[in-house]
This record gives sequence, structure tokens and C-alpha cells, in this order.
Amino acid sequence: MKIEDIRTPGRLTPKESELRVAFLEQVGVIPGGEKIKACIQCGTCTGSCPVSYAMDVPPRELIALFRAGDMEALLKSKAIWTCASCYACQTRCPAAIKITDVIYALKRTAMERKIYSAKFPVHSLADSFMKSMFRFGRLNEPRLMVYYFLKSGFWKAFSYLPLGLKMAGKERIEYRASKIKDIKGLRKIMKAAEKLDMPIEYEVKPYREEAVGYKAVG
Amino acid sequence: MEKHEKIGVYICHCGVNISQTVRVEEVAEALKSNPEVVVSTTYKFMCSDPGQKMVEEDIQKHGLTRVVVAACSPHMHELTFRNACERAGLNRYLFQMANIREHCAWVHSDVDAATAKAKALVNAAARRVAWQEPLQPMKAKINPGTLVVGGGIAGIQAALEIAESGNKVYLVEKESTIGGQMAKFDKTFPTLDCSACILTPKMVSVSHRKNIETLTLSEVEEVSGFVGNFKVRIRKKARYVHDNCTSCGECAKVCPVRVPNWFDEFTQQRTAIHKAFPQAVPNTYVIDRQDKPPCTEACPIRQEAAGYVALIKQGRFHEAAQLIHKRNPLPIVCGRVCYHPCETECNRGYVDEPVAIQHLKRFALDWEMKHNGRFEPPKIDKKRKEKVAVIGSGPAGLTCAHDLALNGYPVTVFEQHSVLGGMLAVGIPEYRLPKKLLEMEIEYMKGMGIKFKTNSKLGADFTLESLLKQDFKAIFVAIGAHKGVKLYVPGEDLEGVISGVDFLRRVNLGISREIGRHVAVIGGGNTAIDAARTALRCGAEKVAILYRRTRQEMPASPEEIADAEAEGVHIAYLTAPTEISGKNGKVTGLRCTRMKLGEPDSSGRRRPIPIPNSEHELEFDTVIAAISQSPDIACLNGKSTVHLDSTKWDTLQVNPETLQTNVPNIFSAGDVVLGPSTIIASMGGGRRAAESIDKFLNNQPLKDYKTHVVRPEIFRGESFRPHSYAPTYKETPRAPRTHAPKLDPQQRAAIFAEVELGYSEEQAMREAARCLSCGVCVECHECERVCEPKAVDYSMPDEIREVEVGQVIIATGYDIFDASKMFQYGYGKLKNVYSSLEFERMLSSTGPTGGKVLLENGKEPRAVGIIHCVGSRDANFNRYCSRVCCMYAMKFAHLVKDRTSAEVYQFYIDMRAYGKGYEEFYSRILEEGVNVIRGKVAEVVEKKTPDGDKFLNIRCEDTLIGKFREIPLDMVILCNGLQPNKTADKIARQFGLSRSPDGFFLERHPKLDPFSTVSEGIYLAGCAQGPKDIPDTVSQASAAAGRALAMISKAEVDLDPIRAWIDERYCSGCRICNNLCPYHAIDFIEEKKISLVNDALCKGCGTCVAACPAGAITGKGFSDRQIYAELEGILAG
Repeated sequence: MKIEDIRTPGRLTPKESELRVAFLEQVGVIPGGEKIKACIQCGTCTGSCPVSYAMDVPPRELIALFRAGDMEALLKSKAIWTCASCYACQTRCPAAIKITDVIYALKRTAMERKIYSAKFPVHSLADSFMKSMFRFGRLNEPRLMVYYFLKSGFWKAFSYLPLGLKMAGKERIEYRASKIKDIKGLRKIMKAAEKLDMPIEYEVKPYREEAVGYKAVG
Repeated sequence: MEKHEKIGVYICHCGVNISQTVRVEEVAEALKSNPEVVVSTTYKFMCSDPGQKMVEEDIQKHGLTRVVVAACSPHMHELTFRNACERAGLNRYLFQMANIREHCAWVHSDVDAATAKAKALVNAAARRVAWQEPLQPMKAKINPGTLVVGGGIAGIQAALEIAESGNKVYLVEKESTIGGQMAKFDKTFPTLDCSACILTPKMVSVSHRKNIETLTLSEVEEVSGFVGNFKVRIRKKARYVHDNCTSCGECAKVCPVRVPNWFDEFTQQRTAIHKAFPQAVPNTYVIDRQDKPPCTEACPIRQEAAGYVALIKQGRFHEAAQLIHKRNPLPIVCGRVCYHPCETECNRGYVDEPVAIQHLKRFALDWEMKHNGRFEPPKIDKKRKEKVAVIGSGPAGLTCAHDLALNGYPVTVFEQHSVLGGMLAVGIPEYRLPKKLLEMEIEYMKGMGIKFKTNSKLGADFTLESLLKQDFKAIFVAIGAHKGVKLYVPGEDLEGVISGVDFLRRVNLGISREIGRHVAVIGGGNTAIDAARTALRCGAEKVAILYRRTRQEMPASPEEIADAEAEGVHIAYLTAPTEISGKNGKVTGLRCTRMKLGEPDSSGRRRPIPIPNSEHELEFDTVIAAISQSPDIACLNGKSTVHLDSTKWDTLQVNPETLQTNVPNIFSAGDVVLGPSTIIASMGGGRRAAESIDKFLNNQPLKDYKTHVVRPEIFRGESFRPHSYAPTYKETPRAPRTHAPKLDPQQRAAIFAEVELGYSEEQAMREAARCLSCGVCVECHECERVCEPKAVDYSMPDEIREVEVGQVIIATGYDIFDASKMFQYGYGKLKNVYSSLEFERMLSSTGPTGGKVLLENGKEPRAVGIIHCVGSRDANFNRYCSRVCCMYAMKFAHLVKDRTSAEVYQFYIDMRAYGKGYEEFYSRILEEGVNVIRGKVAEVVEKKTPDGDKFLNIRCEDTLIGKFREIPLDMVILCNGLQPNKTADKIARQFGLSRSPDGFFLERHPKLDPFSTVSEGIYLAGCAQGPKDIPDTVSQASAAAGRALAMISKAEVDLDPIRAWIDERYCSGCRICNNLCPYHAIDFIEEKKISLVNDALCKGCGTCVAACPAGAITGKGFSDRQIYAELEGILAG
């Protein structure tokens, strides 16, 4: 029997509960994040979302999936990377759920666990962006593109060639990458922030075993 | 210190409520260490029958002298165990309860800590109970009267139930009618009964019951007392209509004011005198007077300016003229030359420009004269014997004479000149006030029976003494200020120098119109302008006004200045004469100096300072000095033995309030008191003097003046509203003042014809429409005029009622959630988005559309959306479910389907159809084809079709298919949640009630006592306690009434004897406590020289206990020893 298939009454499968712990740790960073359990599935979030048409799973269903115990489907969804961070859902939610923040928690979990939606490499763009920032302290487009295409598929780069040439013709590309003055200081800040951003050691509550399953979400 | 009592301690498990957090056995064991504790045990349910039996048996078996039960809150079961003790023969006050459920088990999760706390609490109770003393409960009579606060269906039902038993009920309602929110509904769910059909019979039977006293427009102001003996002070706001109103509705037909009706949720207009709806109870009209219009308040004679402006707005010019004439003795004069303080105070002036009240007044009177000829003097029925003399026929004298004549006094007016009118006749030029109009006013006065004696000068032809000898019982001195003030510069005696008043008098009396070629007028007041313009008309070639300050400081009215300049008068500012130069005794010129402005002086204007070396010479042949006037009081005291006090400015000294001089029957007002002042101020003085003289001759005290009210300060920021239905200043649409036409300046400068031409009818109506109707009622007295039974009474005061009742039922109901807070739904911004109550009114046959479902443009909607849970089940607003919205939404859906062919969409989160017949109603509307969509609406926006047709677009997720949907609609109805009435906070403070976090009143027990409060004798009914539908409200109201009736039939109530008690041995008779007691419950006994507490009045507050320097006062049940023991118990753990 595979570890995924072990079922016990009142418990999630071990893999699911492991993902859930990772996610709840991320949610724990959000003030008021525990409100996620109070969802009344009214759909205000989906109705308010300006990009819900492009989502494979509407925001309301993200929370429904979490309830249903399907973390994997949740993390693999395109929707969490589609969110435009307009916070419309969050301001209107009648259950005071921090939906946009929860979606960020999902993104962080996905990056931590390396569970991504196939063929929707927004996370690699985010990674590349951070890398450029870390190296130069500012955004350098040609390098960003190099990092990004190395991650998401080298051959794709050629489809961008016409646009690149056009931009080069109009001198819209900066070839030389210059660093900011105090790049070391910025890197220190970023490292410190990384520590904060990813699960905060001293704030993570030890989840009791029974609090991990359905009981945790009522 | 040991007491050697035998104490029994019982710890309750309360099922597992207590025992799962507190180790009860351990607590019981710990208590055994106290040597006085004989029994210490635990039991699963102490409050059960076996539990109580256990206590009773132990008392008998072990001879317990004290009992402690540690269980739930004393609110729940203190009474239970006290009764148990009493049954076993132990005094009920030798029992003490420790609360280890609410205070330990329910609020802690740490078992060790909770157990330790429980031990401390029980130990404290055990130590305390040892010192408790047997007490006897006190009895108090129960007043059989009941106060019901709130006249909605809950209040009505409760009042009727109690009245049925024959007991007295006071039903207090803050609006003008009972009926509450239910009266606004059209149909009720799920049976679709007509709300009016089932409610109005109940309302009528309330009014028919002799033992129900309905107090509408009333609010509770103060509550004191305790169960069975409440004293309540109620303020009953004036209705301004007496009970003999027959509700014929004639008054509403003539009322010129239109404001939105609160009853129709502001969707329909009503008049200021109104009835909320045709079936209102009490069925009498009411005048909505929110504030006094500032124009009326500002007028010294309290002319109802807003009233005639409103009448002119409607084109009722005759009524307007009548109204003006009723209050104003010199209306034509005021319409032309009044200083109009009303316009200065006009609220409209803070929006753009003040309403042209004076022009409107003139228009109304001109119209009346043109169409109906002269005014008929009123018939005066009253006849008085006391003769009154009025000296001076100026505005003050005429007003006083007019008012006294109206009261029936024979009045004689003495005038020194040959013409009547005082300054009006001799001071104001013809082109501003044509003499024939003034004569009309005088004719009117003569018609009233006032006698006039011209050419009789005080001091020369008669004296005050001679008047008194002629049996005049009172004299009014209004001789004005006719003496020009001198310039006090060299050369003033030269020929060609004349004072302004003298010049004007000369011209007005037709003595001479002679004037030089180059005229200088010195001064900046209205007299200076009048003199300059008159000089022009008399043929002067060049007229210049010299003023020592700038135009801003000029006291003359700005319009007059502009008119003078237009006619060619040159005004030299910052110029002052230093010398009048002359040759051969005649004026040849003026030596002037230039001035600059310095620091403000006592009048608030900047003081002019001469600029050195700026002297220059100007050529003139005539100089008119019009700097000021002063009264000529030499004539008063010359040969007379009657002496009147004067001030250093040569004015008369009077009491500023009563206008009485130092001689009791001589009064004075006008310029002789004020110095040079305005017509209207003098008229105000004359009116008040008339009131004083009337009071004096009737031997009444001279106070409480109707004509003399202190004007309140009004804050007028951008958010100010002239009345509660008006838009704020910021939102008021701007509209410029309509300017009255004038004669051409070139043409008019040579003739004495009237300059101002007055409004046309259309201009007047346009200008009057700018009035903001401040304070709703504009006091036009039209309703008073048409009311046949004479029920309208503007002078009705607010009434304060003190009632004594035994119990109170709070039925203050709810308000609907303000949907404009959820701006995504566009309520208040988008057209065709309605709140639930607005839609109820639309459905009602007495509503704005007469029961038809129509859009703003009058068309029938093609699709209607109904949004549930607006402001309910929402963490941003109210967490709770409002219970009724799903059902009334379905009612709406049904009625829309029934009355239109529109497609209906319902957007719900969870459909809650929980009552009898409710689920069936849900099935019914589903079968009727209503589209039911599960999903909360995200937003409502307005959109346009390609042909410009506007519609509302709803965006939401249909959660059952997991799809985002956009639905085009014509109308959106919001299902506003219910929230506590906005008065709930005030009521809670007045009655000392608690409220749950949602704001509704807290019931004693949510399951077993949902209609009582923790305060004995105060009960709850209806939505004041929580959202509920009509059947539940009625049931709860009846239950509350039942509880009140049970108290009434009990007739007596046991009160805890927790009172202050004075130990006579220690009382030193210092009487400190006597004055400190807030209830005046402590009396000093003279014989014994000690103080004693009156138990009936004492509330046991303990103030005296703390204050007594001898320590002679003890709170029964709260003695020092008991409290120390309790503290020791807690600290010992």
C-alpha cells in the first residue's frame, strides 16, 4: 500500500495532512488568517474578482478545496498564480477571510513544496525576479529573461525574438547590468526578510495531530 | 477569629460543565481543612430535586447553621437554594453562593489554575457566610400600572393584553402615530394577509381603551425606582394640534411646505402639518416644527418671513399679504426701507445669497394693493378704559400704538410735526418711500381708532406731568433722535453748513429744496447717502461723500451705496475734514486730511488715523454734516416735575428687558433709547413696550416676553441642514438671487420718483422658491386660519409627564440596516435600487405608486433582482442572521410576479424558511418560476445598451454551478437586515439594561426567559430583544404582558433587605450622612439627636456607610466583617 492511500477514520491521508500543516503554517503568519474556517461559501469573492474568468478554480472553490482536504489540487491550480492582488474579495468578504493573503500563503506553500501547476510558470518568473533583485538590486530585463527562460524552457525564448529585436531597435533594452550602490545591504535585508517570510520559527504553533484533520477546519 | 458555626459546603458538577475544568472533589476536600465546615461534598446537579433535598436533610441531620453552594451564577439559582434553606428552617440569608461555572469553568482551560481559583472562591464564600446574619425580606407593594415603551405591534399587543385585565397602561411612542414598522408593510408572509387590515383594528382598539393612555411624540427622559415602583418622566413633544381635530385635512391643503414623509421612507411628499398615513392613531394632524426659521428669530417684531415667502412660492399672494399684515403694523414701510436683519440671518445666505425677503414682502403688499385696494383695519372687540399716551409718531410710537389699540386701549399719539410718521416722514426721502404709501399706513391706524394730535410738541404744548393729570394711565415716550451731531471743526457756523437730518426734513416737509452747486456730505451712514441722493435730486451739480474709513466699514447698506454711485455721487474714502473754509461768511471749501486704518476700536471697526502732511483743500459751497443724530431730551425734563433718567449719550435710561423708565408708568423705546438706530429695531422696541404696558396695566409682573427671546447660535458648516429632510449646504443646488428692476440711474437722479420697481409675479415666485423652509414649518398660520374646530395651536408647549408604574415593557423595535454603507450595491446612488421598506411602501396602496411596481421612469420593470443578507451575516456589518429577510424576499418575489410580468431573480446564501407554512411558501415561489440563485451579489453597476438604454447589471457567482454570472436587471431590491432601534442605547442607559454584542437588549435567559431582563420588573417584547417576525413578536409581547400581569396580581414583592442600618449607640448625630444620601432616605431624629434610615427609600448604595466618621452605619448583608472575611478567604486560597 502506498503511503498516500492509508486512510484512518477522522484523519486525512498522511500526504494531505503534511501539505495541510505546511499551508497552515503559512496561514498562521497572516493576522486573522484562521478565519479561513469561517467561509460560508457565498461566492462574493468570485463575483468581485476581476480575473476570475481566467481562473481554473474560482476563489470560493479554493477554500472549498481546502475544506474538502484536497491540498494538492489547490496548490496545482492555475488560479493562485492568476490572482492580481486587487484585494476586492478580501474587502467584501462577509466572513472577514483574508482571501488575497490566503492565496499568497498558498503561493508560498507551493514554492516551498515545489508543487506547481503544469505549464503555468508564473512562479518561475517570481523566482527570476527575486534572483535579479538579489544580484543587482534592480530589475534588469535581459537577465530576467535569461533566468526565466532557463527555468521555464529555453526554446520558448525564440518566440520572443521579434519583440526583442523591435525593442532593441528602439533602444529599449539595457544590456549592461549595473548594481545599486549598497547591494550588500540590500542582500542582508532580503535574507532577513526571507527568514521572516518563510515560516517564522517562533510563531509557528505546534499543530496537534488531531488538529490537522477535518477537526481543524470544523 | 472563629465563629463556631456549622457550615455545609456543596460543590456542583453541573453535569460536566464545571467538573471538566474544575476538579470538584479536590475543592470539596480542601474546604474540609476549615474547622467550621461540617459537611463538604459534591453532587452532579445541585439544583435538581435530590440536590436540594441533600441540603435540606443535612441542615436537619447535622444542625447546619450556614450553607454555601458553589455552582453557577446567583442569577440562575440563588433563589432556588435560599428557598431550600428556608424549607429546612434556616434563615434564607444565611446562605451564600459561589460562582465557579461562569467565573472558573467556562472562562478557563487550564484545569489546575481553574481548580485553584475555585478553591479560593469557595473558601471566600465559606469564610463570609460565617459572619452573615439572619435577615427578614422586605415587602413592597406593586403599582398595577405598566409602561410600554414603543408603539409598534409588540407594544400594541402588550398594552392590549394588560388593558384587558383592567389595569392602567401608558403606551409611549416617539413618532406621531402608533403602528411602528408593521404599519408600513403591505402584505405579511407567508399568508399574504394585508398588514393594514390586521394591524389597524388593534391600533384603533388601543385608542378606544379607556385604561390605555397613548403618549405619542413622547420619549422617556428619566427613570427611577425599582420593581413595582418605577417613577418615569416622559417628555411629550408639542403636537401643535389639539385633540378636537376632526382630521378633515383642510390644513394640509393650504400648507405651503413640502418635505419627504418619513412614514413612506421618504418616497412621498407631505406637508408640514400632516398625518403620517390615513389610518394613523391618534387620528389627529401634527405640525412638524423642528426649529424656528432664523429669519423669524432675527426679526425684532418676529414677522413670519418664512411663512409669506412659502406662500409667495405657491403664488398665494393674497394670503401672504394677509400674513404680513397680521404681525406688522407698518408692512409697506418695511417692504421698502427695512434694514432686513432677516436677510442677514437667512440660512440661504450661507449657501449662496440670502433670499430677498424684503423685496418679496414689498411685492406681496404691492400685489394686494393693486388687486384688492387698501387694507381694511381689523375690528377690535376688546375694550379697555385705561388711556395710553404715545409721544412721537415714528416707527416705535406707531407700533406701540397699534399693538395697544389691538388690545382695546384708547391710544392718543402726539406728534410735533405737521405730518405723521416721525423719521419715516421727515427723514426718508420720497424716492425710497413715497409719502402716499406712508399715509395709507397712517390711515389704517386711524381706522383702528387711534387718535393723532399733530403739531403738539412735548415741552412746549404739553408735558409729561400734564398728560398724567389728563388721566393717561401710561405714557410711551418715542421722540426719536432728530438732532444732528456737530462735526466740531472750525467754520461750522458758516452759511452753507447744514446737518443731514435738517436738510432731509426741510426737503421732505416741502419747506425748501434749495441747495448749492457743489455739495459735500460728511459721513458714511444711510442718512449721508440719503442726503447726497436728495441733494442730487434738488439740483446740485456735484455731490461728494467724504468718509474717513473705507467702503468695508461703511454702515450704510451696500445696495444704497451702489445706487448712489450709479446716480453720480462721488465717494471719497479715507478722507476727513479738518476745517471748513469760508469767505464772507459763506462756505467756499473744505480742508481735508487723508487717513489710514489702524487697530480695531471698540466697535470692531478699524480706527482711522490721520496721515501727517496730507492736508488738501477741496472746493464746495455746501457742506452737509451727516455723521450721526442724537435725541433732543431737553424737552422732556424742562418744566416738568416728572424727571426721567438719561445716559451720558443723551439717551433715556430704561430697563433693557421691560423698557420701563425710572417712572413706573412711563416706558420708552426707539432712537431715544438706542440712539440713531433702524426702523425695525425701533418697531421691535415699540412692540415690547406695548407688551410691557399691557402687563403693567393688568398688574402682571413684567417678565416672560413673547417678543423677546434669546436667539440661539446656529452652527452653519458645509454639513449643516436647515431641517432634517433638507440637503446639506454642500448639496444644495446654487441659485443666484433675483434682482428687482430699478429706474435708470441717469433718469432717476433728477426726479423724486421711487427708484425700486419691485418684482413681477414670476420673478417673485422664482425668488421665493430659493427659500430652504428652515425648520420645516414656516409659521404661515394658514392651517390656523382654515381650521374650523380651531384645533391648531402654535403656542402649545412641550409637556412633561411624571408617571408611576409597577412594571415596564420595552418594545422599541428595530431600524433597517443602512444599505448605503455597502456601496457596492449602489443604494442611494443608483436609480431603481430600493431598500426593503421603500419597496414595502411601493407595494402599499397608500404608497408613492399606489401599489404598482414601477421604475423611476414610470415603466414596468422587465427583470427584478432581490438581494438577500444586506448587512446581515456579514463580519463587516452585523454578524447575525436577521431571520425575516429570506421570507420577506420571497414575499416580494411573489408580489412582483403577481403584479408584473417581470422575471424575478433571488440571490441568497442560505434559504431560511423555518416557520409554519414557510417552507411551503418557498416551494410556491419556486413553482411560480422565480429564478433562485445561490450566491451573494458582488456588485450592482449601471450599464447602457448600445441604444443608450440604462439598466442595472448584477455580478455574482452562481455557486451551485461554480460560474461567474452577470445578470441584467431593471430593478434591484435590497433585503436590509434588522438592527436595534437607534434609541436602544439611550433606553439601555435610562433603564439600566444590558445589551448583547449585537446591540439588542439582553434577555435574562436565552432559552427559558427570553422576555425578561435581569432587572426585575422590566420585560422585553419584539425586535428590541432580537430580530423576529410578526408571529414571534406578538407571542413575545403577550408573554411579557403575562409576566407583568403575574406581578400585578401578586400585588406585593419581596425585596432583599440590603439596606443601610445605623447603630444608634455609635451615631454621634453629626448629620453628614443626611445630605450625602442621594435618595434622601436618612432623617435626623431631633429627640434622640441621631440619624435614622428610612428603609422604604434606602437603595442600599452604601454612600453613607463609607461617609460615617463614627462607623455607625452598616450595610445589611455587606458588613465590614463579612467583606474582610471574604477577602481573607480569597487571599488564603
